[in-house]
Amino acid sequence: MPALFEARGVTKRFGGLTALHDVHFAIDQGISSIIGPNGAGKTTLFNIFTGLYGADEGSVTFRDQPLLGLRPDQITALGICRTFQNIRLFANMTAIENVLVGMNSRISLRLWDVLSRSPGFRRTESELAARAVSLLDRVGLQASANIVARNLPYGDRRRLELARALASEPALLLLDEPTAGMTQGEASALMHLLRNLVADLGLAIILIEHNMRVVMEVSDRVTVLDHGEKIAEGPPREVQSDARVIEAYLGKRGAAPRTRGRAAH
Amino acid sequence: MIRSLIAVALVGLSALAVATFPRSVLVFLLFQGSLLYVFKARMPDPLRWGLLATSLLVLMPTIGYFNSYYLEVATQVGIFVALALGLNIVVGLAGLLDLGYVAFFAVGAYSWAILGSPHANVIFGGETFPLAGWWFYVFLFVGLGTAAITGILLGLPVLRLHGDYLAIVTLGFGEVIRVLANNLDKPINFTNGPKGITPISRPPTPFGIPYGEFFYFLALLIVVAVIVVNRRLEDSHIGRAWEAIREDELAARAMGVSLVRMKLMAFACGASFAGVMGVLFSAKQVFINPESFTFLESIGVLAMVILGGMGSIPGAIVGATVVTVLNLQVLKGFSLWLNELKNAGVTVLGYSLADLPTQFEPAKYERMVFGIILVLMMIFRPQGIFPARRRQRELAK
Amino acid sequence: MDVDLLIGIFPQVLLDGITLGFMYALIALGYTMVYGVLEFINFAHSEIFIFGAFVGVEVLLGLKSIGLLDGLPWPLVLILALVVGMGASGLLAVTVERIAYRPLRGAPRLIPLISAIGISFFLQDLIRLVESLWRNAFNLVYPTMDVLNLRFELSETIDVSVKSLVVIGGALLMLWALHLIVNRTKVGTAIRAVAEDQAAASLMGIDVNRIISLTFLIGGAMGGAAGVLFGVQYGLINPYSGFIPGLKAFTAAVLGGIGNIPGAMLGGLVLGLLEAFAAAYLSLLTGGAFGAEYKDILAFSMLILILIFRPKGLLGEVVRERA
Repeated sequence: MPALFEARGVTKRFGGLTALHDVHFAIDQGISSIIGPNGAGKTTLFNIFTGLYGADEGSVTFRDQPLLGLRPDQITALGICRTFQNIRLFANMTAIENVLVGMNSRISLRLWDVLSRSPGFRRTESELAARAVSLLDRVGLQASANIVARNLPYGDRRRLELARALASEPALLLLDEPTAGMTQGEASALMHLLRNLVADLGLAIILIEHNMRVVMEVSDRVTVLDHGEKIAEGPPREVQSDARVIEAYLGKRGAAPRTRGRAAH
Repeated sequence: MIRSLIAVALVGLSALAVATFPRSVLVFLLFQGSLLYVFKARMPDPLRWGLLATSLLVLMPTIGYFNSYYLEVATQVGIFVALALGLNIVVGLAGLLDLGYVAFFAVGAYSWAILGSPHANVIFGGETFPLAGWWFYVFLFVGLGTAAITGILLGLPVLRLHGDYLAIVTLGFGEVIRVLANNLDKPINFTNGPKGITPISRPPTPFGIPYGEFFYFLALLIVVAVIVVNRRLEDSHIGRAWEAIREDELAARAMGVSLVRMKLMAFACGASFAGVMGVLFSAKQVFINPESFTFLESIGVLAMVILGGMGSIPGAIVGATVVTVLNLQVLKGFSLWLNELKNAGVTVLGYSLADLPTQFEPAKYERMVFGIILVLMMIFRPQGIFPARRRQRELAK
Repeated sequence: MDVDLLIGIFPQVLLDGITLGFMYALIALGYTMVYGVLEFINFAHSEIFIFGAFVGVEVLLGLKSIGLLDGLPWPLVLILALVVGMGASGLLAVTVERIAYRPLRGAPRLIPLISAIGISFFLQDLIRLVESLWRNAFNLVYPTMDVLNLRFELSETIDVSVKSLVVIGGALLMLWALHLIVNRTKVGTAIRAVAEDQAAASLMGIDVNRIISLTFLIGGAMGGAAGVLFGVQYGLINPYSGFIPGLKAFTAAVLGGIGNIPGAMLGGLVLGLLEAFAAAYLSLLTGGAFGAEYKDILAFSMLILILIFRPKGLLGEVVRERA
């Protein structure tokens, strides 16, 4: 039985620099985290998974369909969506409009429907709006629906990005440091939310995280990247005590990553 | 209540003033200002729309009946409003700076000019042309389609470019179209070169309305259609996708927006408005040549959009009105006035105006007007005089 | 087809192409230097260029009116026009940057570009306004200097005017001076540092604003020099005649790889030659069906094709993208 999403032997070079070397990765369900020091290639991996970069070698499949060579919007339409490390909302659009844009790949209206305001158009628009509201509700932003994204507080923007990604009805969600800049309390609440998403919608989630407490708490599996190579993979407890991981994070002297709240900083 | 009374009084008085003074810049501006007041001031909606409809459908044509000059200005304003609304989609909504927009206007204009005049006989031989006048109505749609296809053809190769490179390429494209219009009088004479094409047929008008009124009403009708289309696009997933591209192209792609489709659609929609107006323009003018389709015109339309506010429909309308009136009336009016003073031998602070150099013609300084508008707006008010307002949604719970 | 004629005019066309090419190269430097530092197309550079031409003609006409045009040795006259034109254009470029670009730094990319387009249009009419009031004419003719019109016959079919030599020589001199400034001086190092990484450069104690002003000054001065040489070469100037050469020079900059100084020179030469050959041969080769007017289309099509297929240009400077 093949996995929902699988990457094999992914290699990416930028000029002379090998950003990723022969990385294998698979996820079927639940939450899987990718950790590693800064510059380990985590975000590059996401960019390849979502079609923003090509890969030099290897293959990526989703439900057995090869993804490499597809455009980002085609990949989103297949059911993979993401958030960004440095929040990339549509700054001058309202929260609900941001979410509505996320639904774009699920809309099958034609130009003529829009121009004629056909019954199908009206129905779809009101359905979309209702769904957008319920998504905002889910991340706790319903009251901010009409606020322009750039005026939202930082934590809300992170959650809005999550709602926008969910709007495309993904089966696989890629989150790039979703708790960055959040307090421990906010981070825990967000993780709770993610757990619920997995339980309610059957979503699979790949998480890039620096917050080790979050990672250990929420992940079913953890993959560790260092200098573009996978150095460990397994359940959180195992990875935590892996000698290579400890070395990658702390150099040769060190204690376990757990003792430092945010290991990579 | 008071506002409503003021509005009625303003519209009535200014219309009366326009009827009284045959060629006054000020009173015409006053008339337009009163329409703007009606549009913006708080008053019951039926009154607002009633006043606007009366002014545009009854007062303006009546004034025009006695004084065709104002009707001509109003028609030109209408043409530029449609152009500004078209460019607003491309620049304001989708954030693609198109510096060759007037090329689409040219495509529409030449499509009717060539086939609606005897000139087509030169190309195809025989005596079939000009097409009968009623074909004009068909050509409104032909012009729309041809311009939209041209927009797509231009869009296809330039899609990969963004920002300032796109701007330069569209500028180059606009220049190419103009050079072609100027030189395609050989080897086959398509455009008759700089000499232009004339006479271009005019259509039979319903109920025998005079041409001045006819073109005014047609321009008004097209403008209304363009506004409706514009609003419907804006309030749909298409408009949202355009804005998303403008805000963050990369994030938009990652959220499932197909850049190719959406950019092409923006180009095609914007171009189609210009194409329709091009057909109207060529019939109204009877004569066209490449001079009407220069870079200057493209920048003029851009200045209208910027002045009003990128992405804002009322902004584009106000911007187009102000800039057109500024060019057609204020600059020319100033020229005339200065000439009168010169001829009267007036002196200012001991300087006789009669000594003003003859080459100093204020009417010719359109570029300076456009330039000042663009720079000042960018520095002090990049969102324009009527910034696009975010739609506030009713949230049913 | 007259093959002998085609071959016969070849050297002459080559020479014209080189002259034109150096002119484009000089103008292209202004675009490329500013783009290198700010990643911004200084749309008004074409007017900064033509402003130099106007200042140059004013210097010459001024000398003429006091009877010195023929009184002074001609190289001195030319150098004077060149220096004043360069200074004026350089200062204009710096002023424009201060007023219309600097307040917009950090705004979305299209904002300063639109402002630059506005400045370009404004300057065109400003030059017209001033000249109309001052001379009651805005189409000005460079006063003739007999020496410049001398021609040397190199063979039966090719001759060289002193004018062309002056243009080529002047351009080479400017390019060499620029090369020295950019590569051999502290200021040049600072310019290259700012182009590489503004934030890092400012951390190293470089006053970024001063360097940006300096870049505009140097680029503007090069444009001004090109303007004076343009006037000397072609004689007739008007406030709007900077636009097309400006656009062509931008094409040259892109062709060579925008942000890349040697690239601008190469791009200028390639474009100049291409245009000269198109102008001379298109009509001959197509039996008059397509005339020299199509050289503009050729240049713009080239711009479009390069931007689409090889945006890095011939010399392949990386075009950075602001994410």
